[in-house]
Amino acid sequence: MEKVTIIINGREVEGIKDQSVLEVARENGIPIPALCYHPEVTTSGGSCRVCLIEAHQGGRMRLVTSCNYPIRKGLEIKTDTDLVRRIRKGVLELLLARVPDSDVIRDLAGKDGITEPRFFKDEGEDNRYKCIACGLCSLVCEEVVGVCAISMLNRSREKAPGTPYHKPSSTCIGCGACVYACPTGAISMKDVGATRKIWGKQFTMITCSVCGIPYIPEAQVDWIVKTTGKDRAFFGKCPDHR
Amino acid sequence: MEAIRSFEQLEQYRERLKASENKDLPTVMICFGTGCQANGSRDVAEAFRKEIENQGLKVGVQIGFKTTGCHGYCENGPLVALRPSDILYLRVAPKDVSEIVEKSIKKDEVVDRLIYKDVNTKETIAQYKSIPFYKFQKRISLRNIGNIDPTSIDDYLLHDGYKGLAKALTMDPDAIISEVEASGLRGRGGGGFPTGSKWRSCKAVPSDVRYVMCNGDEGDPGAFMDRSIMEGDPHSVIEGMIIGAYAIGAHMGYIYVRDEYPLAVKNLQAAISTARDMGFLGKKILGSNFDFDIKISRGGGAFVCGESSALMRSLEGKVGEPRAKYIRSVEKGLYDKPSVLNNVETWNNVPVIIFNGANWYAGFGTKGSKGTKVFSLVGKVNNTGLVEVPMGITIKDLVEKIGGGVLGGKEFKAVQTGGPSGGCIPKALSDLPIDFDSLTEVGSMMGSGGIIVMDEDTCMVDVAKYFIHFLVEESCGKCTPCRDGLPRMLNILNAITEGRGKEGDIETLQELCDVLTYGALCGLGTSAANPVLSTIRYFKEEYDAHIHDRKCPAGVCKELITYRIDKDACTGCTLCAKKCPQECISGERKQVHTIDESRCIRCGVCKDVCNFNAVKIE
Repeated sequence: MEKVTIIINGREVEGIKDQSVLEVARENGIPIPALCYHPEVTTSGGSCRVCLIEAHQGGRMRLVTSCNYPIRKGLEIKTDTDLVRRIRKGVLELLLARVPDSDVIRDLAGKDGITEPRFFKDEGEDNRYKCIACGLCSLVCEEVVGVCAISMLNRSREKAPGTPYHKPSSTCIGCGACVYACPTGAISMKDVGATRKIWGKQFTMITCSVCGIPYIPEAQVDWIVKTTGKDRAFFGKCPDHR
Repeated sequence: MEAIRSFEQLEQYRERLKASENKDLPTVMICFGTGCQANGSRDVAEAFRKEIENQGLKVGVQIGFKTTGCHGYCENGPLVALRPSDILYLRVAPKDVSEIVEKSIKKDEVVDRLIYKDVNTKETIAQYKSIPFYKFQKRISLRNIGNIDPTSIDDYLLHDGYKGLAKALTMDPDAIISEVEASGLRGRGGGGFPTGSKWRSCKAVPSDVRYVMCNGDEGDPGAFMDRSIMEGDPHSVIEGMIIGAYAIGAHMGYIYVRDEYPLAVKNLQAAISTARDMGFLGKKILGSNFDFDIKISRGGGAFVCGESSALMRSLEGKVGEPRAKYIRSVEKGLYDKPSVLNNVETWNNVPVIIFNGANWYAGFGTKGSKGTKVFSLVGKVNNTGLVEVPMGITIKDLVEKIGGGVLGGKEFKAVQTGGPSGGCIPKALSDLPIDFDSLTEVGSMMGSGGIIVMDEDTCMVDVAKYFIHFLVEESCGKCTPCRDGLPRMLNILNAITEGRGKEGDIETLQELCDVLTYGALCGLGTSAANPVLSTIRYFKEEYDAHIHDRKCPAGVCKELITYRIDKDACTGCTLCAKKCPQECISGERKQVHTIDESRCIRCGVCKDVCNFNAVKIE
């Protein structure tokens, strides 16, 4: 792997060629806000536009998303210029108008001095509409879990994650990876007794033989056993009691 | 058909075709472009077939007969061209057919009522090449369109088809790239990236597999140059792609065609299949050691799939969404392999550049934009259609000389170029040369080559609203600025045109424009602000009039206008009162009429029907 030195905010830092600016910045303690990027999902990033930074290379400056901008020799990054702040502020104001009920967005926008958007607000179901349509949920489902139960449906403002035809998915294993990955907590997953409900589908949970708490959907165990060959008996106990 | 396996065989075959061709044979050529077909050219063709049969004429002996691609002068279709007399008949109907055969095929006479008549000078012109619409054009890209039958490879070969390829296959691949570089050809899809250097950077990336692709996902409203090329001269695109593939070392190519272009798909598919049978595609092309083949992929109807990275996703069978192009597609494109994606018109220029040489091509156009460009000239102009002109022609020449001036003698106000994310250029800049860099400098862009002419009755705020509405619908929804910013911009524009505009709206619009320009993910988003920015830049007084005076100076925005009848001009003919759908116009015969404003829905029917110009918009 080829090592590359770049400059971030006037400081020389080292990374690996084609590693993302965001990763290199974070490794060096330089904070950049980001929502749709997840280190475990290689295809993630680029959609929320919150992590915009100035990239100077070859005498040219571009505003780029740090989460997927590859570092190459001669690159200089500025994360806190007037332009970066102004455009990020604009992006956050639009996000706040889209999901006024999201605490995550409200906090982030508040840091840039926005408490109320100047534009009309979107209203979703139950006033708890928090989805910023970043698509991380569907990428996790596809790339990490490997079941492709959900994808980003429709286009323009109607774009949202969902199962095909909004019907209970035949491939969803109820693992909840999408829920854990979602940056704004927009996906609903409810565990009641030994039943989990997610994406309009119900899953029976396996109960830990030690503590008696239901902890994993049967369908998820089936999937793990099928794809990894792991012994089914291993799932009799929850991670705390193995 | 036997495949051609060497350059000698190709030339022998071409010679045989030429020997059997009778150039003096009176030939009828019927335009079968989509526009003319919609106007009934199939019926005209059928009438010709019947007439030829009834008269006992033998096709190929007494009369030649073929259907061709689009001649470009679509508003006057169905078009029928005659060779060798070079007569062009406009708006031909089946009932005209026997007269044409009688007079212009059997004899040397012209059917006067079917030839071109200039709306301004009233002059009539029979000769195709003398009609102003064609006279000022320079047809390189459209060289064959209208002359050849797109379904016949023989006709293409008779018009020097595959000569560029035969020459290219004897050249060193790097020399081909140098030739394209030297020609100065820049991407005709809108980006204007130098084609040769794109090819060179792709070739420089080490890889065992490379791809070439053709972008035929033309989606700009009113633009149809790529459609006409794919429909009317499919082999020219295929030939260009084979040459490009040979130059960069690709063995597979894809043509991504808009599914709304069924005729383009059909003609391309047929052309690919014939080209394969004849040895221009497949293994060991023309007896060389080069293998290459092409597949067609039909788009699913998303505007954004004309954007290169979204197009490649779609070709891979994934959702057509753009992705960051921080690593360029010449490095990692289709299936993450080095790839070259060029537009239809770009590919179709390649064979003639190779055959005639870079210097020949670079002799046309301007310093920074070489060659010619096909434009679809539409809007409020007398002659609309497809035109090909050398780069650098001024807006004025395009609108006045070729377009024949603004429709109905109205005042020319602006042109909109570059498709929905292009910009509006005012009359004051009508001496501006049309080339890549000049258009960008004034806040518009070349785009794929749509040119919409606007007259004094066009409201520029309404124009901005129209394009933003289009983009709201077509945004893929992946990134925040485009997905959530455009609807907010539209909301403000709606308010302004409905009389609810307020102080600061223009500034808020400009801020949102910046968020899009700097912050959006793909080319669609980063250029989406152009319609708003360019209209604010050149027509700010119209925005101000809407916001502060609650007036629409062009008389377009319904909420901001009132219709009144001019007392001095009204003759009391009662026509407006009869036609008013709201029945809100009253007045006795031969007395001045009045409009009841409270019930008026501002449909404008009264103004349209008034013969005395007595209905005014205020």
